[in-house]
Amino acid sequence: MNTFLQLLVNGLGKGAVYALLALGFVIIFKATEVVNFAHGSLVLVGGYLVYELKDALGWVLAAVIGIVGAALAALLIERVLLRNARSADHNSLALLTIGIDVIITEEVVRRVGADIPFIGDPYDSQPIQIGDLTVFRTQAIALVVGAVLITAFLLTFRYSNWGVAMRAQAENREAAALMGINSSRVTATAWLVAGALAGVAVLFMATQDFSGAGLGRGTHAIALIAFPAAILGGLDSTEGAVVGGIVVGLTEALSAQYISFEFSKSAVFLVMLVVLVIRPSGLFGTKELSRV
Amino acid sequence: MIAARRAGRSALIAGALASSLLLAACGSTADTAGGTEGAGGVITDKGVTDTTITLGIMGDTSGVFKNLGAGLNAGNQLWADDVNAAGGICGRQVEIEVVDHGYKADVAKTLYPQLEPNVLGMVQLLGSPVLAALEPNLIEDDMLAAPASWSSEVLDNPGIMMIGTTYDLEVVNGLAYLQQQGLIADGDTIGHIYIDGEYGGNGLKGSQYYAEQHGITINEAKVTSTDNDLTGIVTGMRGAGVKAIVLTTTPGQTASALAANQALGLNVPVLGNNPTFDPALLETPAASALGNLYVSASNAPFSSPNPKAVEVTTEFKTAYPDAPRNAGITTGYTEGLVWQNVLEAACEAGDLSRAGVKTALTTLTSVDTEGLVDVLDYSSPGSPPTRGVYIAQVDGSVEGGLREVAPLFTAPEAETYVAPFQES
Amino acid sequence: MSETFTPPAAPPKAPATTTKHPPNWLKIVATAVLLVVLLLLPVIVGNGGVAYLKLAQYILIGAVGGIGLTLLVGQAGQLSLAHPFFLLVGAVGYAVLAGDPEESDDLVGLGLPPLVAVIGAIVLCGLVGLAFAPVAGRLRGIYLGVASLSLVFLGLWLGQSLDMFSGGTSSGRNAPVFALFGFEFANSTPAPTIAGVAIQKQQRLWYLFLAFALISYFLARGAVNSRIGRSWRAVRDNEAAATSMGVHVTRVKAGAFVISSAFAGLAGVMTALWLDLVKPDENEFTGTYSLTVAIAFLAVVIIGGLGSVPGAVIGAALVFGLQQFFLLGSQQFGWFADAAFGGFSAVVVSAFVYGAAIVLVILFEPGGMAAIGRRLLARRRSPDVPSTDDGGRTTPREDRS
Repeated sequence: MNTFLQLLVNGLGKGAVYALLALGFVIIFKATEVVNFAHGSLVLVGGYLVYELKDALGWVLAAVIGIVGAALAALLIERVLLRNARSADHNSLALLTIGIDVIITEEVVRRVGADIPFIGDPYDSQPIQIGDLTVFRTQAIALVVGAVLITAFLLTFRYSNWGVAMRAQAENREAAALMGINSSRVTATAWLVAGALAGVAVLFMATQDFSGAGLGRGTHAIALIAFPAAILGGLDSTEGAVVGGIVVGLTEALSAQYISFEFSKSAVFLVMLVVLVIRPSGLFGTKELSRV
Repeated sequence: MIAARRAGRSALIAGALASSLLLAACGSTADTAGGTEGAGGVITDKGVTDTTITLGIMGDTSGVFKNLGAGLNAGNQLWADDVNAAGGICGRQVEIEVVDHGYKADVAKTLYPQLEPNVLGMVQLLGSPVLAALEPNLIEDDMLAAPASWSSEVLDNPGIMMIGTTYDLEVVNGLAYLQQQGLIADGDTIGHIYIDGEYGGNGLKGSQYYAEQHGITINEAKVTSTDNDLTGIVTGMRGAGVKAIVLTTTPGQTASALAANQALGLNVPVLGNNPTFDPALLETPAASALGNLYVSASNAPFSSPNPKAVEVTTEFKTAYPDAPRNAGITTGYTEGLVWQNVLEAACEAGDLSRAGVKTALTTLTSVDTEGLVDVLDYSSPGSPPTRGVYIAQVDGSVEGGLREVAPLFTAPEAETYVAPFQES
Repeated sequence: MSETFTPPAAPPKAPATTTKHPPNWLKIVATAVLLVVLLLLPVIVGNGGVAYLKLAQYILIGAVGGIGLTLLVGQAGQLSLAHPFFLLVGAVGYAVLAGDPEESDDLVGLGLPPLVAVIGAIVLCGLVGLAFAPVAGRLRGIYLGVASLSLVFLGLWLGQSLDMFSGGTSSGRNAPVFALFGFEFANSTPAPTIAGVAIQKQQRLWYLFLAFALISYFLARGAVNSRIGRSWRAVRDNEAAATSMGVHVTRVKAGAFVISSAFAGLAGVMTALWLDLVKPDENEFTGTYSLTVAIAFLAVVIIGGLGSVPGAVIGAALVFGLQQFFLLGSQQFGWFADAAFGGFSAVVVSAFVYGAAIVLVILFEPGGMAAIGRRLLARRRSPDVPSTDDGGRTTPREDRS
């Protein structure tokens, strides 16, 4: 029972971080219908800034700069590259982000060099004991931060002008433009927000408690696990991203213990596959109406 | 499962031997069969001129093992510099040609044919996937290679020159040490986390053997080299009531397992073998949890009081003041020293051809590396050349992070262990 | 989400057919020269340049796999990242079918003749592809892409678990030597020579791979230009319209998946022969059948130009050849030799070039190498014909190849 509780706590904490990442995918997808394969490298950009600056500026300031940096990097990708691509095909643009991802990842990994940067200074490796239960502070804080940010986001999305504009744009781009919605601004904001969420997520990912490893290719790989989370929930559903993240976190933790560790990654993908076979647009995704 | 490919490979080796015998018998082309006679009346073929002996490195300075790889390359080079300063071997200077394959088998497969004609043998060949992919080439080319991996599963190829003992024996010795210290007892349950592959699988063989001897139950967990969070596994092992954990993992995984061991309040002793520890771990948040780690390794730790080790590390610090200080340096140097013994024996026998070098290896019964590793005996192919290890414990206050707790230690269980290709 | 993988793009029509114009001599001469160079490659690089021959073989593996993927992604509009899984199935299938039954008690080997085993492995891959087709048929676009990714994870797990077939991740198993009518693709003494160059194992493998690649190339072009190709494109562009024209959408989609998997299976057999080894990966990110390879094949298809068969070959040369070429060059000529530890080494630079190639192609030439080639030929043919570059923000795809 203790083991089970322990796994539950870990799985939820990780699920919160996956949800932050998956939310990033979903926001960008909703605004532009582009799947951002470079999300993993945004994570690395944010993490790298924190690592470089935290000794000089202190952790808090470095973390803020990291988040802003990741957001700006996302904006830059959208403004400089995607906007100017001659192809408007969303899938081609998605593939373009793969190219960006290869370059940024290689460069960050090269800069990190032989170091193993851990960037969770205030909470990493400081477990809290509650009776027999060990709660990893990183996971606990990730869960709280994730919950707050996601709630804030969903509220904004529902009630703010930006949220309405974005939902309108996601619904029908042409009509939204006719109604005077500035598509360019909505898109830019979407990338900024997604980048910032990636910048927050990395603060928990490059830690001993979360991934057991510092910033590097492994961090980038974790962002990939958030992919099935976004797909599973439905690529155009913000609520779906949250549910997807939690499902992935728990699937990973529980299957590793009760089936086998090496099966756990396949398990995540298999769960996703089953969901997709039953609901081809994910749990909360918009069903396609066209029927052949 | 391991014996699987081996049987086929042995057949391949037999075939290669037979065809080279056939060639020799025909005696049509002296050039391919025996090599030519060079300076000093020594027979030579590839990689040796009248003034130089060229050895190759297929290492990793850009992939996952770049830290260790850089250390190994530096160690190899330090040795070559020392040898050359002392007048070389067989009247020839030693040169090293370095190739970086980034731990990718496909890259190594392409780069090998470019390196092969230039070198006599490999002073260092890093990476088990690379070794597996290149093995048919090594056999085909009659090449002697010192692998920077220590699995006893590759010893069926007489062209593999193991430097020190193998992973399975490191684990057997390590467990024996833990038991001698009263940290584990007969009938206990212990955990073993291993990377699926030649490295981890061979280590697991060691703990399985030891467990059989002592009625110990093993709680096994298989991981891949990119899984860095072992918290879940350690949680499960706590539930299973393990008294110790054995690791044949990457350094990052080691840190994770030890951090979880402490965080979950398990606090059992953890045994790792040579590649599990990297001093860079002492800079991570897991540093305070590392004290539980015992490392069982062929090589003397960086901080070893052994005079030869001190000499090498001092030299290293002068030559590479900023480079990471890891076990690669002494290991690389040791690889060189063993090659030196082989080359000197081959020179004495008047045959520095590839075949001559391989024959020379089997005549060596006590290669003395001045304690960098145990005395090595290469006369029985298939058997690891030594069974002795150094046991060290993690200690952040010493250089290289490891404090020697038992110098050159061979447990009785290690003597009785039969390696996969050991004859008799 | 658009309802097909790509919104109906305005595909550039070849400006004119050859019947109206004199034969395109440039194209004919170029093809002839290329064929001669390929046939004489072992002589050109000589016995000392085996490393470059090895590199050329590797490119052909990428070409065969890339051709298969471009049919699926470009022609039939189904995004798949599962290619490495089918490569693994092909490699293991070949080793099991051709493997010596006496080799080891722990390994399954059926001892079939190698050619039969190659065909068997290809058929096996097709069947596995067929098994996945019902899933693929239900999903579209990026959903299908990520769903197909699960096969790569499944392959990793199966490869580790079923070691009686795969040989296990420790040491894998030997790749059975290929032989045709008693002629072994291995070293021999004495070896035949061409112009003084000994035709040994690597030279023989080159000719074998070249044959495989040429067969794949012409089969694929044949498919594209036939009824099959038309039905793929009909389904890709508009499923409803295709149905109304009497195309059985589900069957066509499944067929594309099967054919693409079969090509990947052949590429898998070639991989096994190239490495002399069948060994499942130790992790999902680096290795012969990993995610990196999934991305690489996608890059082959994009850089080449979606749906273009010749484009896939050029894409393979860039994606599969570039890094190894940089490494060989840096070894031979000392490029990047002074890169310090953690500096801009050949590995890093080649990754940059690879990433930049993808970005630049989609930014400036969404039609890929195929569009560039088409424009060159079109311009040469008749200066009056407007180039296919219509400046529109669409992704041109191949209609014919």
